[in-house]
Amino acid sequence: MTFRRKLLAVFSLTVFLSVAGVALLVLTVTRNAFEKTENERTAALVAQFQREFNRRGEDVARRVESIAASDAVTRMATALSGTPADSAEYFDLARTLAESYQLDFLELLDGHGIIISSAQSPAKFGYPDNAFDSLAGLTEQSAFLKLEDLQDSTALGLFAVRAVRSGDHPVYVIGGRRLDKNFLASLDLPPDMRALLYQNRGEHFSPEWLLDAGSGTSRPAEKLSGLVDAVRRYDQEMTGIVNWSGDQADQEVFHAIPLRGVGKDRPLLAILLIGNSRRQYVELKRRIRDAALLAGGGGIVLAILLSSWAAARVTRPVEQLAYAAQDVAAGNWNSSVEVSGHDEVAQLAESFNRMTTELLAQKERLVQAERVAAWRELARRLAHELKNPLFPLQLTVENLIRARTQSPELFDEIFQESSRTLLAEISNLKGIIGRFSEFSKMPQPQIQRVEVNEVVSRVVQLFQAQLKAPGRSAIACKVELDPSVEPIGADSELLHRAISNLVLNAMDAMPNGGTLTLGTRRDDRKVTITVSDTGTGLTREECARIFTPYYTSKQHGTGLGLAIVQSVVSDHGGRISVQSEPGRGTTFVIELPNNMEALRAALSNAERNATETPDIRRNVAAQSASVDRR
Amino acid sequence: MKHIAWQWLAISSVLIAALAASAETRPQYGGTLHVSMLDAPLSLDPADRATPDSFGRRSLTELIFETLVSVDKSGRATPVLADSWQTRGGRRWQFRIRHNVWFHDGSPLTAESVAASLRFANPAWNVTADRDSVIVESDLAEQNLLADLALSRNAIAKRDSDKLSGTGPFHIVDWQPGKELALGAEENCWRGRPFLDGIEIEMGRGFHDQMTALQLGKADLIEVAPEQTRRVSQQGQVLVSSAPMELLALVFGQDGSSPDEKSLREALGWSVERGSMRDVLLQGTGQATGSILPGWMSGYGFVFPTTADLARARSLRDQTHVSANWKLGYDGSDPMNRLLAERISLNARDAGLSLQPTSGGNADLRLMRIPLASTDPWSALQIALAEIGLPPMESKGHSIEDLYAAETAVLATGRVIPLFHLPVSYASVSNLKNWSLRPDGSWNLGDAWLESARP
Repeated sequence: MTFRRKLLAVFSLTVFLSVAGVALLVLTVTRNAFEKTENERTAALVAQFQREFNRRGEDVARRVESIAASDAVTRMATALSGTPADSAEYFDLARTLAESYQLDFLELLDGHGIIISSAQSPAKFGYPDNAFDSLAGLTEQSAFLKLEDLQDSTALGLFAVRAVRSGDHPVYVIGGRRLDKNFLASLDLPPDMRALLYQNRGEHFSPEWLLDAGSGTSRPAEKLSGLVDAVRRYDQEMTGIVNWSGDQADQEVFHAIPLRGVGKDRPLLAILLIGNSRRQYVELKRRIRDAALLAGGGGIVLAILLSSWAAARVTRPVEQLAYAAQDVAAGNWNSSVEVSGHDEVAQLAESFNRMTTELLAQKERLVQAERVAAWRELARRLAHELKNPLFPLQLTVENLIRARTQSPELFDEIFQESSRTLLAEISNLKGIIGRFSEFSKMPQPQIQRVEVNEVVSRVVQLFQAQLKAPGRSAIACKVELDPSVEPIGADSELLHRAISNLVLNAMDAMPNGGTLTLGTRRDDRKVTITVSDTGTGLTREECARIFTPYYTSKQHGTGLGLAIVQSVVSDHGGRISVQSEPGRGTTFVIELPNNMEALRAALSNAERNATETPDIRRNVAAQSASVDRR
Repeated sequence: MKHIAWQWLAISSVLIAALAASAETRPQYGGTLHVSMLDAPLSLDPADRATPDSFGRRSLTELIFETLVSVDKSGRATPVLADSWQTRGGRRWQFRIRHNVWFHDGSPLTAESVAASLRFANPAWNVTADRDSVIVESDLAEQNLLADLALSRNAIAKRDSDKLSGTGPFHIVDWQPGKELALGAEENCWRGRPFLDGIEIEMGRGFHDQMTALQLGKADLIEVAPEQTRRVSQQGQVLVSSAPMELLALVFGQDGSSPDEKSLREALGWSVERGSMRDVLLQGTGQATGSILPGWMSGYGFVFPTTADLARARSLRDQTHVSANWKLGYDGSDPMNRLLAERISLNARDAGLSLQPTSGGNADLRLMRIPLASTDPWSALQIALAEIGLPPMESKGHSIEDLYAAETAVLATGRVIPLFHLPVSYASVSNLKNWSLRPDGSWNLGDAWLESARP
C-alpha cells in the first residue's frame, strides 16, 4: 500500500470513527432522553386514564344516587313498606330508570336482597341477588367493579350501591355501566393510546375475553398473554413492550393494571391494558439515525475527498523523494528532487539533494581512488611479474659478458646455454603479457543452448590426466551431476573456461592431493554449479578479495583466473560465491539463470542478421528449433 | 216541605243529566278513524292460507267481508249473509242466501257467488248453489259446520282477477300490503251505511309506537300488549279487552320419543311459575292455564294444574337417565316473548333442566301464541291442534266429556305445555263511540262513530 493510500486510509478512518462516535453519542443521548420522556408520558397517560376511570366511577355513583333519590324509587319504597306489598307493578321500573339515567345495569332489591326489578335481567324478578351480602355494606362507597351474571353470559361493570329507606324496609339500588368496547371507546384518551380490557376468566389466557375498542386492526391477541399472565401471577401493575410485527414502529408499550372486585378476597376481575404506541418515538429515532447517517456519510465522503487532496499534497514531495531514491538505488546518482516550501518535507528534499550530490562526489573520489589503487596494483603486479624473468635475463647477460671476457673458450657453450635461458625467460615474459592481454580482451558471451552437465563432463575429461599425472599427489575426482538440470542459454566456451579455471585453482589448492568434486543442481529458474576441493582453504579476508583482479594467494599466480571466472559468470547474469574455511577446503558456487529469454532475444537478433548471411540463418534456424523443442 | 223540595231538585238534576248524556251519545256520521296494529298481513283475501291467522287479520277481514253465519260468545250460530239454514243429520246443509245484499263492486250476492267463494276457501268441500240457496254436503255428519262457516277465513269474497269485493261495511280504497290500508264507507251495505266515512289502518307498528301514536293523537284505536293493560287502564284510557282468546304455550317440535323425554317435559311443565309470570311479567293480565282451551270456553279448565311444583319437577328430573339441553325459540319481535322465555329458562334451571332461549329458527321447543279461532270449543281445539302441528282429534259426539278426553289425550303427548290464556286488548280515544269486540277478538266498527269536538 502506498504512503498516499495509507495516509488516506488513516484520514478516512479517523473521520469515520469521529463521525460514528458523534452519531452514536447523539443517538444514545437522544434515545435516553426520549425513553425518559416516553416513560413520563406513559406514566402521565396512565394517571390520566385512572382519573378518567375514577371519573366514570363517580359518574356511575352519581347516577345511582340520583335514581335512589328519584320520585319513582321513593314512591316504590314507600309503597313496598306497606303491608301487603305488591312489587309486581315495579317490575319494569329498573329498565325505565336505566334508560333515563343511561345505565347499563340497574337492579332494585328489597331489604332481603330479592330482585324487585332488573334492567339487565328482567326475568329474574323474585330471585335473590347472589352478591347482596357483599353489596349491602357498600351503600356509602364509591363505584366498584363487579361481574354481573346475565341470562347466558357474564359482564363486567362499574357499579355503585345506594339504599333508600322508607320505614323499616330499605330498598337497594344497584346500578352500573358495562365495561365493554363502547366504554373503552368513550374514554378520552390521547392519540396513539388505547385501552384494552381483559376479563379474567378461566385459568389460561384466551383472546375471547379481550375487549378492544380499537379500529379493528387484526393483531394477534396472544401476544398479550405474557403480560396478562404475569399480572395474574404477581397480582400487581406491570409494564411490557409488545412487538406486533418485525417492525419496531409497531411496538406498543402496555401498562397493565389489575382491576379487583369487592369482597374479602377482592378477586381479580379484569386487567386493564393501556397501550401506548411507540411508532412516533421509533420514527423520530429513525429520523435522527437517518440524519446522523446522512451527515456522517456526507462527512466521510467529504473527508475522503479532502483527505485525498491533502494526502496528495503531502505525499507528492515524498513520492518524488521515493522515486529519486529508487533512481539512486538503481545507480543514477545524478537524481534530485524539486524543493518547494520550507516545511520538514522541503528540508528533507534539500537534504536528499545534498546527499546525492555528496554521494556523487564521494563516488567520483572512490572511483579515482580505486582506479589509482588498480593502477598501483597493476603496476605492482607487472613489476612483480616482469621482475622475475628480468632478473634471470640480467644474470644471463652478465654471465655472457663475464664469459666473453674471462672464459672465451667457454663462451660458445655458455652462449648456447644462455641463449636458451634468455629465450625461455622471454617466452615467459610473452606468456605474462599474453595473459594480461587476454584478460583485457574478454569476449562478450555468445548465447547458445548449452547442456551444463555436458560442459562439466568435458572439463572433467580434460583434466582427468592431469589429476593423476605422475610427479604429483593424486587428486580424486567426484562428479555429482543432477540429471534434471535443463539446458540454459550460455556461451559454452566461456563457461568451459570458467569451470576449467576453478578446477585449476582447486588443483593448485591441493598440492598434497585430495578430492575434487564437481556437481550441478537444478534450482528454481537457475542452475547451480559447484566446484569443491579439500585443499588448504581460504581465510575470510582472502574470500573477500579473491575475485579482485590481480589478487592471488599463490606465489606464481597472476590473480586473473578467478577474476575471469567472475567476469564470465557476471556476463551470463549469474553470480559466484565462495565458501571456505582454512584447512577444510573451498567450494565455489556458480548460479546461472536459465537465460532462455536472452537466448530468444539473441536468436531474434541473429534471425534479423541472417537475412544478410545465409549460413547464419541456417544456424539460427537450427537454434530456434532446438529452443522450441524445449 | 223542605225535604220534598230537595227531592224534586235531585230528580230534575238527574233528568237534566240524562238528557245531556243522551245528546252526547247520539251517533254522528263522518270522520276517518285511524288505527294502528302490530300485524302486517300481505293479503286481504280471507282464504289466503299463507297469511297466518291473527286478531288483526280477523279484524281487517270482518271490516270488508262477511260470513254466512256468526257464533256468539256462548257458541250459538246467528244468521249473517244466510238468513236461514236447515240440515239433514248434519250431512246436508242448506243455507238460504239473504236478498238485497250487494258486493262492493255493485254486483248482487247470489248463491253461485257464495258457493264459489266457499269452494275457493275449502276445496275439499262439496258446495253447490240451488237457486237462492247454497248446499254443503259431506259423507260424514259435520257437527261443526256452522262454527267453521263463522270463521273469518270462510268469509264470502268475490274475486275478479286480483280485485277483491266483499259485502262488509267498508270497501277497499287503497291497499299497500303489509303497510297501510285505507277503507271507505260502503253506501250500499245491507246493514246500512256505517257512521265512519273511512278507516285508515297502519300496520306493522309495535305496541310502544302504537301507544305513542295514541297519546300524540295520531291514532284513534290501537292494540295494547297484555302487560300494558293495567297501566293503560290506570291512566284512564278507554280499554276494551276480549275474553282470553289467545293461548300462550310451549310447543315441542316432536313427540317425546322416550319415557325419559316425556318425564323431562313433564318436569318442565311443573317448573314453570305461571303465577308470578302472570302477576309480574303480564301485570295480572290473562289466566294461567294447564289446558289448551280456556276455562270459560270448555268449563273444565280448572282441572289442569297451573301452580309450579319445583320438588316434583326435580324428582321427575332425577328419575331420568338423560339430560335436558333444549333450545327454547321465541318470536323476538315482541319483547315480552323474550322475557317469558328467559323466565321459563330460569325456572327450568331451578329444576335442573337446561333451557337456552333463542330467537333463532333452530329450536327444540317454541314459545307460541295461538289465537283461538272460534268460541266453539271443538272448532277452537281442532284449529289450535293444526297450529301446533298435531292431527285433528276425532270424536263421535260433541259432549264436554269427549272434549275433555280429547284435550287430555293431546296433552299426554307432551307436545304442548299450556301456559296462559291472554285476552286481546285495544285502547281507543275517548271520542270513538259505540265500538266493540266480537267474540273472536276482532273489531266491530260497523256501528262505531267519532264524536266531533264541541265548537
